[in-house]
Amino acid sequence: MALASLQSIPAAPRRWSRYRHPQSTIRFAVLLAVLTFLAWSVAFLNVDLLRILGAFPRLAEILATRYFPPDLNYVSDADFIRSVIRTLEMSLLGGFFGVVFSIPLAWLAARNITFSRRIAYPLGRFAIMGSRSIHETIWTILFVTVLGFGMLAGTLALTVFCIGFAGKLFSDELEAIDMGPVDAMRSVGASPLQVFQYAVLPQVRVAFTGIAIYTWDVAFRAATVVGFFGGGGMGWYLKRTTQQLESTRVAAILLVIIALVLIAEIGSGWLRRRISRMR
Amino acid sequence: MSLAATSVSEHGFDAWLAHKRSRRIKNWLIVAAGAAVLAWCVRDTILFDTDWARMGGALGIGGTLERFFWVDWSLAPKLLVPALETLMMATLGTILGCILSLPVAWFGAANVTPSRFILYPLGRFLMVLSRSIHEIIWALLFVGAVGLGALPGILAVAMRSIGFISKITAEAIENIDPKPVEAIRAVGGNQFQVMYYGIGPQILPVIIGTIIFEWDINIRRSAIMGLVGAGGLGLVFFRQMAMFNYGGVTLVVLAVLALIALGEVVSHFARKAVI
Amino acid sequence: MRHEKNIAESRATRGSTADTVASMSILQVRNLKVSYAASGPQILKGIDFAVDGEDFCAVIGPSGAGKSTLIRCINRLVEPTEGDIVLFGQSVRPLRGSELRHLRRRIGMIFQEFNLVNRMSVMDNVLSGRLGYTGAFRSFFKAFPREDIDRALHLLERVGLQDHVDKRADALSGGQRQRVGIARALMQKPEILLLDEPTSALDPKISRDVMRLIRELATEFKVPVLCNIHDVQLALESCNRIIGMQDGYKKFDGPSKGMRKQDLDEIYAMEVL
Repeated sequence: MALASLQSIPAAPRRWSRYRHPQSTIRFAVLLAVLTFLAWSVAFLNVDLLRILGAFPRLAEILATRYFPPDLNYVSDADFIRSVIRTLEMSLLGGFFGVVFSIPLAWLAARNITFSRRIAYPLGRFAIMGSRSIHETIWTILFVTVLGFGMLAGTLALTVFCIGFAGKLFSDELEAIDMGPVDAMRSVGASPLQVFQYAVLPQVRVAFTGIAIYTWDVAFRAATVVGFFGGGGMGWYLKRTTQQLESTRVAAILLVIIALVLIAEIGSGWLRRRISRMR
Repeated sequence: MSLAATSVSEHGFDAWLAHKRSRRIKNWLIVAAGAAVLAWCVRDTILFDTDWARMGGALGIGGTLERFFWVDWSLAPKLLVPALETLMMATLGTILGCILSLPVAWFGAANVTPSRFILYPLGRFLMVLSRSIHEIIWALLFVGAVGLGALPGILAVAMRSIGFISKITAEAIENIDPKPVEAIRAVGGNQFQVMYYGIGPQILPVIIGTIIFEWDINIRRSAIMGLVGAGGLGLVFFRQMAMFNYGGVTLVVLAVLALIALGEVVSHFARKAVI
Repeated sequence: MRHEKNIAESRATRGSTADTVASMSILQVRNLKVSYAASGPQILKGIDFAVDGEDFCAVIGPSGAGKSTLIRCINRLVEPTEGDIVLFGQSVRPLRGSELRHLRRRIGMIFQEFNLVNRMSVMDNVLSGRLGYTGAFRSFFKAFPREDIDRALHLLERVGLQDHVDKRADALSGGQRQRVGIARALMQKPEILLLDEPTSALDPKISRDVMRLIRELATEFKVPVLCNIHDVQLALESCNRIIGMQDGYKKFDGPSKGMRKQDLDEIYAMEVL
């Protein structure tokens, strides 16, 4: 084989170029279109590229001069601590109800095990995508408008948010299961509910628990700001101090939020690792 | 032999039963504790905190809801420019977020970090910081720093994106196949060439997928940036809300949905083209 | 001969000590010792040998003898703990940063698992052999010079892959991938080739083809080869010199023709064959 190739060295110089006729042209065209859109965006939004670079030192300067030192007395106030606890409660409720409602929706929206691909599948998918597409802040404002200020609105907004968040992860997980047991259960004549309970749930239980904990983690992050729009909890303090330009108090609240989110993240990470080890 | 085996298995069966019983009790305790916590939360947040009288009962709620259903279509032409602004804010924010993620991912990937004791923890900390602060708060901070307009929105979206993009990228870098990297080092490639030829091609599909995913999320994020003074659909939403024009609010929400559907379509094709 | 003169000249232009070079081998290893952790076991326990211009030298020995470590020490993919390696008249151990990269680009290496970048095309994998000579701008845009591309095409044809130039590396079979690896190593215009178990991931028939190809190319380009190989039969067939290792020591060093059954038995004394 090698000998053959020795003899077949052609006289004419071979040519090779990175350019491939249709593919490279299309790629360059797409790249050019994206770059044009970016340039147009910069022009349309009147973004000064130098100010982007300047924004970070400026932010640091403002944090150092106006936000420092954080007013820690403000956050050790009993009312504030109560609002933190209420934030936690809202995130627990929102996460719980979100997970509870999203499981059946995810069942409908999982292509491989749904009741009917014509009706149930698009319905479940639309419900999940709809709750996902609208930001939790907008949900909060809408619920506050209908139900009035308070934690009920915040809890409902978080529930909808969690339905979207967990529903997507759940249905992705369901679509990845091994269909063998499902077919086996169907062939012994089990009802859809029985199939779900005996063939599907055992496969996804651990993953679902992990997702549920992660959902709570994310819901807690969102819960810190629902109060900003009247949904109750610590966000209300954030709004009041921001509007009154009490920057050192804002800094203290931000520190509390970062600390709590860190604790939630570490805790949920630890729990998820433990659960995945129980598998 | 067989006798011994039977007695062992009988003993094992008892132990198994006892183990199972204790586990069942433990599970029930966990469920009960959870239920108690939830009940307490419901009591605290919903029953006590809600002003049921002011809500006006089912009729009052129905009345408010009804006003949302009369969609104010006359607003539609005025939504085109804000929708475009939102899309642009999301795109620029994602690009800026990617650029800022590069060093963070480099620092925070254990196998390529330039210094394990200073820059690695810094990278990890930036990832957590970016994700733990809500985009609304980032926007507030940047509005304070650079004033009103699209810029603070872009910056807020970018800062919020860093965490996810750089975390996934760092994980991808940590999971690469080290063999091609060794080969590029063996031909005398420098640090940049090792990254560009050895690591780059391996993590590119993951990164592009993540960027597309993040861009999708950033559309819904930038749709609310107007609430704190950063233009786009959020600003229209805020104004319609302030005018109590609930039909207009519904239309804005529909516009957000349409924008996100558009984003889904674009990202579907983009993902297909890359992978 | 011509080759040695070339190397001597290139050394002189690089400013190393040309007068001492003439009497020296291309590669000299003296009292090489390696342990991976400071307190860990020693993998190499003092190895001495030299490789000359015409050598196609195989390192054989049971698993765990330190063959792979020895090969990797020469281009410093593994750091030696003691001893000296002199390559092209230059001591390898004190080199840092760009000096080390400049040394590495003169050493071609072929790996056991091919070590190709799977998502890149065959052409780009072969071209990546020139990275040591390519500037930042050209490497960023993958704009390699015309002569590199021509050389890559020629080499790909030479290893029989002219029809696979634009395929992705992971679309090829094992033997084909190793041929890409060979072409990449030869792209460097290496002055020595290091082979780290080049055939262990291939089946016996392909192994023989690949070794024959390497041997042919090494003769054609007049490159000395240091090869670490598991398959004794293949080593005896394709190499003209054998270094036998056992447990970190050198047990045998001589022409492959002069190797006797009892030499092999001694090298493999500790392994159950």
